[in-house]
Amino acid sequence: MKNPMNYLAQNNEVEIFQHAAENHLPVLIKGPTGCGKTRFVEHMAKKLERPIFTVACHDDLTATDLVGRHLMNKDGTYWQDGPLTRAVREGGICYLDEVVEARKDTTVVLHPLSDHRRVLPIERTGEEIIAHPDFMLVISYNPGYQNVMKGLKPSTRQRFVSMSFDYPSPEREVVIICQESNVDKDTAQKLVTLGGDLRRLKDHDLEESASTRILIYTAMMIKSGLDPKEACSACLAQTLTDESETIAAIERLIQIYF
Amino acid sequence: MEELVGEFWHKLITKRVSTEHSGAKVNLTDLNSQLAPFYRALGGAPGKVIEGASARELKLHRRFLQRVAGTHRRTNIAWQDERSVRLPPMHAIFPDKALNEALYFWLTALAAQLPTIKHWFVDNQHATLDLLKSKPGLASSYYALVDAILPLRPDLDKLEGSKLIREQAIQQALKVPGSVANLPKASGDPDPIFLWLYPEPIHGVSIDADDELDDSDVENQEEQAEQLKGERKEAKRTNDSKETDGLLVFMLESLGTWTEQIELDRPQEEDVDVNAAAAAEDLDIITLSRQRRAQSAKIKFDMDLPAPQNDDLAVGEGHRLPEWDYKRSSMLQDFCLIQPMLADDALPAPVPDRLKMVANQLRNRFSALNFQTNWLRRQTQGTELDLDSCIEKISDPNDQLEKQNFYKARSRNQRDLSCLLLADLSMSTDSALNAHQKVIDVIRDSILLFAEALSGAGDPFAIYGFSSIRNKQVRFNLLKNFSEPYSDAARGRILAVKPGFYTRMGAGIRQSTEVLQTQSTHKRLMLILSDGKPNDIDHYEGRYGVEDTRKAIMEAKRKGIQPFCITIDEGGNEYLPYLFGDNGYAVVSDMTRLPTLLPKLYLNLTGQS
Ligand SMILES: Nc1ncnc2c1ncn2[C@@H]1O[C@H](COP(=O)(O)OP(=O)(O)O)[C@@H](O)[C@H]1O
Ligand SMILES: [Mg+2]
Repeated sequence: MKNPMNYLAQNNEVEIFQHAAENHLPVLIKGPTGCGKTRFVEHMAKKLERPIFTVACHDDLTATDLVGRHLMNKDGTYWQDGPLTRAVREGGICYLDEVVEARKDTTVVLHPLSDHRRVLPIERTGEEIIAHPDFMLVISYNPGYQNVMKGLKPSTRQRFVSMSFDYPSPEREVVIICQESNVDKDTAQKLVTLGGDLRRLKDHDLEESASTRILIYTAMMIKSGLDPKEACSACLAQTLTDESETIAAIERLIQIYF
Repeated sequence: MEELVGEFWHKLITKRVSTEHSGAKVNLTDLNSQLAPFYRALGGAPGKVIEGASARELKLHRRFLQRVAGTHRRTNIAWQDERSVRLPPMHAIFPDKALNEALYFWLTALAAQLPTIKHWFVDNQHATLDLLKSKPGLASSYYALVDAILPLRPDLDKLEGSKLIREQAIQQALKVPGSVANLPKASGDPDPIFLWLYPEPIHGVSIDADDELDDSDVENQEEQAEQLKGERKEAKRTNDSKETDGLLVFMLESLGTWTEQIELDRPQEEDVDVNAAAAAEDLDIITLSRQRRAQSAKIKFDMDLPAPQNDDLAVGEGHRLPEWDYKRSSMLQDFCLIQPMLADDALPAPVPDRLKMVANQLRNRFSALNFQTNWLRRQTQGTELDLDSCIEKISDPNDQLEKQNFYKARSRNQRDLSCLLLADLSMSTDSALNAHQKVIDVIRDSILLFAEALSGAGDPFAIYGFSSIRNKQVRFNLLKNFSEPYSDAARGRILAVKPGFYTRMGAGIRQSTEVLQTQSTHKRLMLILSDGKPNDIDHYEGRYGVEDTRKAIMEAKRKGIQPFCITIDEGGNEYLPYLFGDNGYAVVSDMTRLPTLLPKLYLNLTGQS
């Protein structure tokens, strides 16, 4: 990878994000997994010259993990800011990736930060921090059916400027794959066409679409010398499903390109 | 005796003239589950199925022996219409099995590339060319097929005149697709080109079915048609339901010629009334194999309720539910009478042998959910220290000494989730899915495996089925309720599930909502297993049914219940987003996979959260 912050815009997302940042508004990004959400936020952080604090959310995440906790050393206890508190205090983008994975009570701490108040009360220390002007809250999630039970509460959603991402257009995806993996254009083109074929199987034969990320992985494996068919089989067929018949069908598809 | 001799002669002679290689035979049924995703991935319409084509008669120049033996008179060629792709039920053209397989994949790719044919000779070449250009791997298999097929085509040395010119053109078109603009004229049909798609036959016996199942004097004809099962025969469904008044009608249209010189032999008899089924058989024209609505028409006629002694036991007096009338924008209070039914005569039964293995696997896999643990923090008792709580104790200026909550404890199954499965048991589930199964059979297996999986998971669950006959008869079949443990008694009831009547979905959902509300879990999931739009024989159809269902779903959501719909209706994408939201449903196009998909879907939906 040449530059880990390289980002190829899909649409007017850069402009929207800049406006939100100027107006101190929080941003919600939705889109399928591996379509470039994280990359975009990292890119914007660099562009706006703000530090970024990324939290990958999971179901064991607590508000403490975001806000901070007391720790101990030889002198006794001391307070350690969590990533959210640091972003609020020092200024920077706090990016909560896959936010629906977090338990509901966790997101409640976000409320006073995501409206006009822009404050973070810390119960443990009795402190109430007013957000730094460069503080920005960004959250992302995948709205696929796997997450319908989780979802975001409307009261949370309505505090955000929202953008919807999808996989890049074929032309852009070819460029991205070439850039990220250094594979030749012809191979990238084939992978993108194959990826498009596989995406048509979503909702019928596959639960998940082939992401840009997984196509890049495939390209990297090919670039480093693995036989393209084997790379596709390992990264795509086997990754996307456990159904032997669907795997067989995907192997057939791979064979018509490589 | 005479018959025996005849049969022997037939066998002998068929063997001699057969140009097929039975050792390398590949059956469509064995490959279909790969061909279908392959087709969809290449851009084929997701709703189309791939099925066996019946033999079509071609005017072939047959060798004498072949003519006597009768083989080759009918040839299996590939074609498609809006509903399905028809491929030969088996391929044994080549001595090499891999080539016979490759031919299936080739034809499937071609079908995705060439959804409609305008000019048979040119379109096939162009579609081939496009595929070869964009899919290098497919190109090599195509040229291998061409190399193998050319020797099987008529020998150019033995042809002359216009037939020679025509055959040369065809062979050239196969070798260098796109290079021949016209098919030279010659008498008779050219030998079938197995690498190409043929146009759909223009004429055939037309069988029309409509959702409106209104009258009955076609009953006989329809039943006859239904007897002729098996591979898909040529038929055409007319779309004009007005013209036929929504009845099932056989119409014999004048049989003409196909474009591109492929002629269907004219039928001997034109009188369909006499014996429609026989006529259809003679013509190689039958349909109804998958037209579920059409099949359900039959059931309409014996739709009077089962005699009480044969019916499930009605439990209690029934229960009144409202219904939403969108035209008046008002709730009709107590409009529906829902009747809980219990199959009291269903004997307790174990998991059938054929499902045992899967059931065990599912139970094991799902029991992992049961052991999912969470740490409960700040407990007064527990297995480990809760450091956060300890440190807080030390650092907190206004400490309350009496709170001794320094421990973390593991809790079992914190999923805190209950699920109700509501299965649509309308009569459309009585239709045939394939040669061995009806839709209801697959639904039954699906419900059973779902129950096995959930019993492993330990999540509280209930299973109900529903069907209706107007608003006063909404039957709510109890298969397993929340409070009873899952046992052979419940299995017996599930295994006894049978098709019911119509689909008053709103009432089914409202009743399920009430049942789910008795559960005190944090999350409550209502899974609806559906096979089509809401409808009943009264005004409950079209928009009315959809609006009422939507209302019922919104009410459920407001009460903190998460509905999710799994449908086997290919057309589901049209109306389900309106009912359940974009991500609130899943369409399962390959029904036979439903039994394994349903538990998986549950896992995905309820995840680890
Ligand atoms: N527009 C883009 N420009 C550059 N790289 C991209 C773009 N979209 C996706 N990628 C690549 O795809 C990978 C996965 O994207 P990521 O942002 O991690 O996905 P997500 O956060 O949506 O799951 C990235 O590592 C990057 O290599
Ligand atoms: Mg990400």
